[in-house]
Amino acid sequence: MATTNTEPLQTVQLDGLVVLKIIKHCRESYPNDVTGQLLGLDDQGTLEVTNCFPFPSDGDEDASAQYQLDMMRCLRAVNVDNNTVGWYRSAHLGNFVDLSLIETQYSYQNSLSAQSVVLIHDVSKSAAQGNLSLRAFRLTQVFMKAYEAKKFTTESLAQAKLSFSNIFEELPVQIHNSHYVTMMLHNIEMPKLDSDRLRSLSTFASTQKTQTELEEARPLAPNFDVLDLELDPFMQKNLQYLLDCADVQQQEQNNYQYWQRSVAREQTKMQAWLAKRKQENVQRVEKGQKPLPEDEVNTLFKLPAEPSRLDSMILSAQMHNFTKQINQFAGPSLARLYSIQELQK
Amino acid sequence: MSRFFRSTSDSESETDSDISQYSSEEEFSDGSDEEEQQQQQQEEDEPKKSRFLKGGDDSDSDDESSVKRQVKSLKDKRLEGLFVSVKAIENGQKNNDWGLIASEFDKLNLTVSKVTTGFNAVSTPKAYIKVVAEIDDSLKEAKEKNGKKNSTNIKAMNNVKQKMKKITKQYEDLIAEYRKNPEEFMIEEEEEVEVEEKAPKVKAADKQETKTAGEDGFSQVGKSGKVIAEITQENLFARLKEVLESRGKKNTNRQEQLNVLEALLKNAITPFQKISVLQVLLASRFDVSVALGDCMKVSTWKSAAQELNELLNILETTSFVIREDVDEYDNDEKDIVPEPGQIVQLRGSIISYTDRLDEDYTKSLQSIDPHSVEYIDRLRDEPTLYNILVRTQIYYEGLNIQKGVARMIMRRLEHVYFKPEQVILATESQVPNTMKSSIITAKENPSELVNQLCSYLYKHDVSVLRTRAILCHIYHYALHDQFHTARDMLLMSHLQESVHQADHATQILYNRTMVQIGLCAFRQGLIKECQVSLQEIQGTGRVKELLAQGVSQTRFGQAAPEPEVVVVEQRQLLPYHMHINLELLECVFLVCSMLLEIPAQAQAGTSNSKKFISRPFRRLLDYNERQAFTGPPENTRDHIMSAAKALASGEWEKARDFILAIKIWDLMPNNEKIKKMLVDKIQEEGLRTYLFTYASYYSTVSIAQLATMFDLSQVQVNAIVAKMIFSEELSASLDQVSQCVVLHQIELSKLQLAALQYSEKVSGFVEQNERLLNIGRENNNAATATKTH
Repeated sequence: MATTNTEPLQTVQLDGLVVLKIIKHCRESYPNDVTGQLLGLDDQGTLEVTNCFPFPSDGDEDASAQYQLDMMRCLRAVNVDNNTVGWYRSAHLGNFVDLSLIETQYSYQNSLSAQSVVLIHDVSKSAAQGNLSLRAFRLTQVFMKAYEAKKFTTESLAQAKLSFSNIFEELPVQIHNSHYVTMMLHNIEMPKLDSDRLRSLSTFASTQKTQTELEEARPLAPNFDVLDLELDPFMQKNLQYLLDCADVQQQEQNNYQYWQRSVAREQTKMQAWLAKRKQENVQRVEKGQKPLPEDEVNTLFKLPAEPSRLDSMILSAQMHNFTKQINQFAGPSLARLYSIQELQK
Repeated sequence: MSRFFRSTSDSESETDSDISQYSSEEEFSDGSDEEEQQQQQQEEDEPKKSRFLKGGDDSDSDDESSVKRQVKSLKDKRLEGLFVSVKAIENGQKNNDWGLIASEFDKLNLTVSKVTTGFNAVSTPKAYIKVVAEIDDSLKEAKEKNGKKNSTNIKAMNNVKQKMKKITKQYEDLIAEYRKNPEEFMIEEEEEVEVEEKAPKVKAADKQETKTAGEDGFSQVGKSGKVIAEITQENLFARLKEVLESRGKKNTNRQEQLNVLEALLKNAITPFQKISVLQVLLASRFDVSVALGDCMKVSTWKSAAQELNELLNILETTSFVIREDVDEYDNDEKDIVPEPGQIVQLRGSIISYTDRLDEDYTKSLQSIDPHSVEYIDRLRDEPTLYNILVRTQIYYEGLNIQKGVARMIMRRLEHVYFKPEQVILATESQVPNTMKSSIITAKENPSELVNQLCSYLYKHDVSVLRTRAILCHIYHYALHDQFHTARDMLLMSHLQESVHQADHATQILYNRTMVQIGLCAFRQGLIKECQVSLQEIQGTGRVKELLAQGVSQTRFGQAAPEPEVVVVEQRQLLPYHMHINLELLECVFLVCSMLLEIPAQAQAGTSNSKKFISRPFRRLLDYNERQAFTGPPENTRDHIMSAAKALASGEWEKARDFILAIKIWDLMPNNEKIKKMLVDKIQEEGLRTYLFTYASYYSTVSIAQLATMFDLSQVQVNAIVAKMIFSEELSASLDQVSQCVVLHQIELSKLQLAALQYSEKVSGFVEQNERLLNIGRENNNAATATKTH
């Protein structure tokens, strides 16, 4: 059912309806994480998402699958786009990089369509910063291969040049509206100015009133959320996440260290054995006997398997995400703080 | 009785002189000569033999059975058995029954060896010699007509042959004499037997009679009287050799041997004789306590010490020299009288005797209950031992054997280093002035003495001795309150890095040294240094084992240690008088921890940072706080805990009282000074704790107020606060004009805290990562190395 288009995806185009539906779904169920299906079409490098529907949040797998099937059938029956192009999920402050996300996305990209994307709607971030945070991700080819082989050793990662930064590729998101919608938006944005209201600006109470009225009148006008000076909750939450990540990462590190130590131990044993065998061989040669093979060492001793680096990689990616977020947040915040400082002088 | 013995000894002396000729002959002419002789004798012997033995033996056994029914001493019984065996062997020879001969010969050998050794030793019975000679002959005979024997016979014969080889060697001389003139030899024998028959009767009849019978001037004849009588100048070496040979064998009674040797010593006159006997005697004294954990009896030890002294005396006055690296002196059991100016070198090792003596001393101290009078009595022997050590050292100096000198100096040092000056002086003063060492000259000044002993060892090239020497040296410095010298020496020695590979004794010494340095720092009022030094030992909770002052207890859930391990551990324990008082140690450690930990805790405030200065202290304090009810303090620990709590709440006076109430301070020298130091520290730390805890509730505090609160002068308060401000422990400033501390309130927001926490965590993480990388690199190198193989 997926169009076999070999051209790589360049952008993701979302219909306004889809965006609203996603936001509605995610906000309603905040703070739980929710997921849903994206429907649309893959058209020459652009993935057009024209519709979506939420997945039921109760954890029953079978029911969920059944629901999806039923939903698809119904959609087909009413002749709406019913081609699955990916899925969406909600997140909080960018804490979305985890194994389940990768697993699901892998199965989408592997079995449904190579062009599937995952849309992440960050509810908390959108609320905190007043900007809509909607990002589209795909797993990279390299990662897909590595994941398929289930091989995440240091060596293989180095060979594939795979690191935490190229697990995902992010695609630019465009929002597309039909002309009717655009026109309607323009209409909403430009309400008729009421001269009465302007006149009554002099009193405080009426200002309040006008302000709210104005707000109601212009729902799409920029608000003052952007100038919010409250940094602590966001930063604190972010740091909290980072700390948690660091803890887990440290555990990973300990595992790795343990492995390294056991490898070192095994290797010294191997070397001792080899040295002994060599000596023996020298003696045997002196006696005119055939030297014993030296490759037995590999059958006799087994180096412990390296722990999978996937977890650590995911953690790094997650931490990277957080730090980037802080960085992004810090720039405008500092600008705001400086401007406030200037104002207060 | 005496007549009898004299006769034997006479005959012995005869044989002795004969032997010397003979043995020298025989040595040169080998078996071929001997064979010829034997063949000649064989012919001569054949006819006489039977007659002789029949007469002698038969009558003998008859006599014995009839006469001695009521007076059977052990010896007689043995002799009886001996003659029975002899007869059986003869029968065997006649019938050519080698199986019989073999078994009887074994029996015979056993009885003879019993008879000739021990208390009631007699000289080797002549009949035995005769039998030996005869068996030897018939062996040869049998060899010639070898063909017609069954296999068991041959086997038995070979068996006998093997034994014969050994025995003929042992009694070479006697056999030779017998060979030379069998008749005469056996006549003597008969006489002897006759006398012998009488002898036991006399002995059994009355002991006092034996005394009167001693016409020849033997004033003392006891149980071992016979033995003494037997020993003369001439046969001394033979007897000595006998003892030497039986040494280490299974059935030898060591105590008996000692008695023989003591008797020998009494008879030894010339220096050489004395030296020889003393060497054997000392060796067998140490033999008595072979078992691992056992120690010698005190009396044995004392006599050993005395004998060692005697030996050293002889060596010092005569020109005999005992060294380990010369060959056995082959003197053919003759006395040696050195020419004037000639140095006779003998094989032996004085140092091993001294070593054993020292070790046994330690062992006996380990085994004696340290709280008994016995222990103190035993300690009185130390000067004797110390003298011997010094003497041996000087003796080896004279011989110029560096190794020996170093070993002795080490032992000497180990007897000295842990003692206070007065005790060293006392020990040193007991060393006679005649003993002058060229190396160690300082006798009056103990620290100089230790210095010299150590410096000598530093120059020595055995690293174990050097290590131990430096540790002893440091210990000594620490004991005498020279903290900085001790610490610098320890740091310069770089022992901390290598001590883990050292042997147990050295590690124990290292631990002792560390602890002593800690105590020294405490006495000097260097709280922090003290805490750091003691932390390593006290922190483990196994102080007793680490200082070798007790064996490890099995904790719950741990397998009980192997019994061998326990024995080994027990052997390494130090004698009680070397112990460091553990309770005092703990007390010092906890007090230091308190003085450091309480202000630190106050500084950390509510944020429960996990940085402990002293984990054991924290644990105790937590435990104490969790208790539902805390009664008045009873033991040292309780006192310190109560003091800690008082200090934490700013009640320094209470804390002071608690600390000063600890009784164990009395064990410290100069305890008044130390108590004063402690009070000072408590005041200071109390002030710091107070400032940390309550700074947030003040905006300003007057210095005068603080000074009265903590009973410090204003200058002191000023200094302490200034120091705190400087080291950024306290965010405040000093107002010079109004004489008060202005406190700044700075509180971290949650975000800041989180950021700090995070940065800390990440830096730790990075550090660990780097380490990981290094290991990884090494591993990779190793891996490639393995691959290239």
